[in-house]
Parts: sequence; C-alpha cells; structure tokens
Amino acid sequence: MLATLLVVVLLVAGPLVAYLWRTTDEWRASSEDWEDLARGTAVELERTQGDLAAAQRTLDDTRDQLATAQERITELADEKAQLGDDSAAQQQLADYQARVSQAAGKVATALATCIAGQSQLIGYMDDADSYEPDVLARFREDVDALCGQATEANEQLQHELEP
Amino acid sequence: MTRARLLVGLTAATCAGVLAACGTLPPRPDPVPTSLDAVQRRDEAPSSAGALSPDGFDAAQRMAVRIRNVGCGSLSTGSGFAIDDHTLVTNRHVVADSAALEISTYDGRDVRAQTASTAALADLAFVRTVDPLPAYGGLAPLDPVPGASVTVVGYPRGSRLTMTTGSVIGATTDPLHENLGEVLVTDAQVDLGSSGSPVLDAEGRVVGVVYAKGQDGASFVVPVSTLRAMLDDETQVSAAPTCGD
Repeated sequence: MLATLLVVVLLVAGPLVAYLWRTTDEWRASSEDWEDLARGTAVELERTQGDLAAAQRTLDDTRDQLATAQERITELADEKAQLGDDSAAQQQLADYQARVSQAAGKVATALATCIAGQSQLIGYMDDADSYEPDVLARFREDVDALCGQATEANEQLQHELEP
Repeated sequence: MTRARLLVGLTAATCAGVLAACGTLPPRPDPVPTSLDAVQRRDEAPSSAGALSPDGFDAAQRMAVRIRNVGCGSLSTGSGFAIDDHTLVTNRHVVADSAALEISTYDGRDVRAQTASTAALADLAFVRTVDPLPAYGGLAPLDPVPGASVTVVGYPRGSRLTMTTGSVIGATTDPLHENLGEVLVTDAQVDLGSSGSPVLDAEGRVVGVVYAKGQDGASFVVPVSTLRAMLDDETQVSAAPTCGD
C-alpha cells in the first residue's frame, strides 16, 4: 500500500522535477546570452562614443572655419567698400581737375585774345589820325568785350578753385 | 484501516500540493534578442529658425547695408536697413544732396538704387532698389521702454559692419530739431557713418533708426512709431533732393 502511494507521488512529482530542471538550464543559457549581448553593446557604445567625439571635433573645426570665413567675408566687403570710396573720391578729384583745367584754358584763351586786341588797339591809337574816330571807338568796345570775357572766365576759374 | 486512510490522505495532500505548486512554477525565459533596439528619439535637426543664413550671418547683419552718397564734389557714407525685398530705410541726411547713391551689403555685393524719398517731419528716408536685398527685418509694434536692451548694426565711419549693444535711456525732444515729436536716447555706441543704422530689440525687431550721436556717448534714435507713421502716410515723403537740383 505504501509502495503504491510512493509510486503515485513519484509519478506526480517527476514531471515537475523535469520541468524545473529544464527551466533552470534555459534560464542559465538566457543569462549567458544576455551577458554576451551586454558585452557587445558595451563595445558598440564605446565605438559610438568615439564616433561622437570625432564628430564633435569635426563640428568644432567647422564652426571655427565658418567664423574665420565670416570674418574674412566682412573684411573683404570692407576692403571693397574702402576701394569704392577711394575710387569715387579720385573720380571726383579727376572731375574737379578737369573742370579747373577747362576753366584755366578758357582764361588763357580769353586773355590771349584780350591782349592781342589791346596790342592791336595800341597800334591803331599810335596812328589814330589814319582812322575814323568811330571805327576806333567800336574797335575799343570790341576789345573791352573780349577782355570782359577773360574776366568772366577768370571769375569762373576762381569759383572752381574755391574750397 | 485507519492507517490506510491516513496514507491515502497524505498522498492526496501531497499530490494536491504538487499540483498547486504548478501554478507558481517559474516561467521559461523569453528568447534573447540579437541586438538592442536603439531608443527612438525625435531628431532635432538644426534649422534656420535662429535667423541664420546658409553662410552663417544672422538676419541683423544681412539686413544692414552701407550707403555711399556721391555728391557734387562731396562724398559721405551712412548705414541703412531693408524693410522688404526692395526698400531701404535710412536717414534723410544720409541721402540728401547726392548725385548717386551706391549701396553694398554685408558680404560686399552691390545693390543698385532706383529712387530715394525723404520725410519732411523726421530724419528718415526710403530708398527703392533695383536689385533684391538679401534679408529684411520686421518692425516692432511699439517703441521700446526705458531700460530695454537694444542692438545697433551699422557701418560706423564707413568701416566694417559692426554690432554694438546698449539700452534705452529714455525719450527727449530732438536736440537737432530734425524730428517732430520725441526721439529716443540710448547708450549704444555709434559714430559718424552709423546714421541710418537699425536699432533692434532682443527679438531682432526694429525699434528705431539711429540719426545722431550725442556729446556724452549717447545716441539719438528715431522711434519705430515715427517710422511707422511715415510709412503709413505717403504724403509725408517726397523725392530726395539731389545736388543737381
């Protein structure tokens, strides 16, 4: 009777023991797999951290290069602007000198005409008896007009020379 | 008989205990993955929301321009800023008596001027351009209050693009009598050539236009309310006088 009961108990407990045995082995294997996975992931993490540090250095270098490029762009823009200012100033100076030269040329031409007229008038006056007084008077007026043009040209020149 | 019943009872109890224990047996492990899934995170890609352009210059620098006033025997420089694709704001005295206006941007590009008009009641001028401008800024809805931080972007003394900061000191009547109404006073450093520079608030909006430098380092600013009034009323502006007039 007792033996029968023991057999019954063993029959009931046997599968349970076998299940526990198998489950324990599977958990052990699972633990080893998780450990391998953790080690692999740690290696991958270390490599990723290295990549991140390298990328960060590249980013810093790029930012430095961008700052340098911006600085250079600003400098070049300024240099171009200064050259433009110089060019405009020189153009204005050239225009001014052209106007002065043109005015001075007019003065010289008018003065030469005036002097020639006055010389001719002096010659006529030296021999005034040979000419009609009205003719001499008109010639004098013409010479005065020529010399007046020289005066106007000189005034224009002085105007250009004013600061 | 009694003993046999006891054994049967024990056996039944043992079997019942074993069967009950089956309900608390440890489960079998799940399969181990071959790799760990990365934590999904929303990518925060850099954007231009910070007003940065592809070349790294910010909007404040890109909207500022340098203005060369080539007059009849005179030459001067000033600053200005864009308020749309083809319109600049600067000072009246920056564009007055010019034979030609030559505009350049933060990166040295030339922008051709088309027409210039000036306001009668404020030291303000508006220049229309043939070429599009690189960037333009928005106007603040209200004038800045005393103590507000401001940034001035311009070309002091006609030199390189410069940004200076300061704060609003207060408002006063115009000491130069160029503007109707009050003008702002700031402690932001400006110089000759800064005239026409935009004064920006912390959000990059235009709150005024520099038009003069004080004796004690202060700078005088036409407030944005005056600028808005001039922009809203076309009768307030007329063609800028040129040196040939």
